[in-house]
Amino acid sequence: MNKLIKIDYRKYGHSRSFWVLSALYVALVLIVFMVIESFLNHVMTNVGKGSSVTIPGFSLYSFPHVWHNMAYLAGFFKIFLALIVIIFVTNEFGYKTIRQNVMSGMSRGEFLMSKVLFVFIIALAVTIVLFLSALFLGLTHTDHLTAAMIFPKMFFVPAYFLEVFSFLLLAMLFAFLLQKQGLAIGIFALYYYVIEPVISYKIPAGVARFLPVKLITHLIDVPNSSLMKLFGVNFRETVSWTDVGGCLVYSALFVLIVYLYLKNRDL
Amino acid sequence: MAKVCIIVVDNGFFVIIVIYFYLFRPINIKKTILQNEILEIRDVSKSYGRLKALDSLSLTVERGSVFGILGPNGSGKTTTLGILLDIIKPDRGNYFWFGKKPDATIRKRIGALLEQPLFYPYLTAVQNLKIIADIRGVRYEEIDEVLDMVRLSDRKWYKCNSFSFGMKQRLAIAAAMLGKPEVLILDEPTNGLDPKGIADIRNLIVKVAKMGFTIILASHLLDEVEKVCTHVLVLEKGKKRYAGPVNEALGNSFIIEVAAPDLLSLQSALKQIPQVKTITRQNTMFVLNVHDDLTPDLLNRKLSDQGIYLTHLAVRNKSLEKYFLELLSDGHE
Repeated sequence: MNKLIKIDYRKYGHSRSFWVLSALYVALVLIVFMVIESFLNHVMTNVGKGSSVTIPGFSLYSFPHVWHNMAYLAGFFKIFLALIVIIFVTNEFGYKTIRQNVMSGMSRGEFLMSKVLFVFIIALAVTIVLFLSALFLGLTHTDHLTAAMIFPKMFFVPAYFLEVFSFLLLAMLFAFLLQKQGLAIGIFALYYYVIEPVISYKIPAGVARFLPVKLITHLIDVPNSSLMKLFGVNFRETVSWTDVGGCLVYSALFVLIVYLYLKNRDL
Repeated sequence: MAKVCIIVVDNGFFVIIVIYFYLFRPINIKKTILQNEILEIRDVSKSYGRLKALDSLSLTVERGSVFGILGPNGSGKTTTLGILLDIIKPDRGNYFWFGKKPDATIRKRIGALLEQPLFYPYLTAVQNLKIIADIRGVRYEEIDEVLDMVRLSDRKWYKCNSFSFGMKQRLAIAAAMLGKPEVLILDEPTNGLDPKGIADIRNLIVKVAKMGFTIILASHLLDEVEKVCTHVLVLEKGKKRYAGPVNEALGNSFIIEVAAPDLLSLQSALKQIPQVKTITRQNTMFVLNVHDDLTPDLLNRKLSDQGIYLTHLAVRNKSLEKYFLELLSDGHE
């Protein structure tokens, strides 16, 4: 396993586009994290002008809600990570280096495993970014901070990891099945933005809930804010085990599909 | 493979005794008698839609041979090699490397260049070879050795996308040699190389073959195969037309070149020798097709008896090209 990680590090660690895309992602997330609170408050005060009800200000950064808020927010950017995964997996087909890898003595299973590990490490890295930035924001923005306030709701961090991991495996599935870079990106985006929403609209909600993107996104629900409370809306503040189980099943399924597809195919 | 004896015992119980006659297992016979067999292909077929790329090919390759695969474009050379490297999955048939069912570990003992060089363009030559070294479990020190062998040492820190096709081809050969594999598979290795590069690769193949490695070489350049190969497989439209030693393919038919100061008297003297079948003039010499029993010394004696002294006498094997064309045209008659 270490060997596979090392090989993939050699492939991507020296690629400038990999680091540029990663840096862009981190910068994007950090900037959004930093400005989101004041942005929302700004929008809300503008909207609230002339309203009879005083709209309460947002405070997104205080413990323990910061974990949930930031995990939810970071979830919007996973499509960017999916792009990175698709680019680098389809590159192996585009350069036909998968052939060279297999010829040199890598089994098809090992090749797939190296890509699963690649996805795992990306998910782990962005989870660490989330953890550190949420921790920093919490520590600097929580009034009357006590240690006990930090830990509740920290489970949103591993939930975010699972969300990204299974989502990126879905992207990987598209990359392996379609192989052509532009096609894979296009079809994946189409599926994400159009196909699945249309399907979920057509079928009963109870079934639609288990469609992959929907299930994965459902893992971390919209955080409650003071505004929502005002309207009497109350969202889930927990992570449901059904969703966790569903994500794990989907992850295993995506890997299995790629494995079966790759096993008996000409490269 | 295994012999099964079923002994029916009186009281109605079946006692099944399975006895393995190891000595009679076919694989073991090969191990003991044909230790030299490095590759065995059994009845392998592959189709692309309606096109039969490979039609029931069976073949064995022995250790230490330089095995040429010849055939026109689209005759199934690359398909054959792709199957042997697990890049292409055959529809039917098996193949065995070193007497074993093929797997990824066995491929580490095989170095290969298939069709075209395949590298990460944004990585340097060394970085690319390190990936292959990691896959094969080879020490990085060997990278410099193989780069030296293909004369790329001065470009090793350059990115592959700055390489010309010939340089990539040489790098691919270096990659194939990494880890000193027992078998080297080269598909059109001199493609895109300059004359110096072609000569280098040929010398390299001969050198490596002398070191005891087995080489499987696909080419449509007959001249290339003729110069380096010991055995040859001729493919046409996915079918085996010939497989065996090169000299057997050519038979012991040879041609003799002769020249003398006076070409006219030489010609008339040659015409009187019954074993000379045909005489063709090539510039300042004659090329003779002769019967097997006319050895060069006999010819020389016969001519000097008539007062003709040769300035040039050479014996050449009939070229593989000639043989190849004959073989392929036979099929169309």
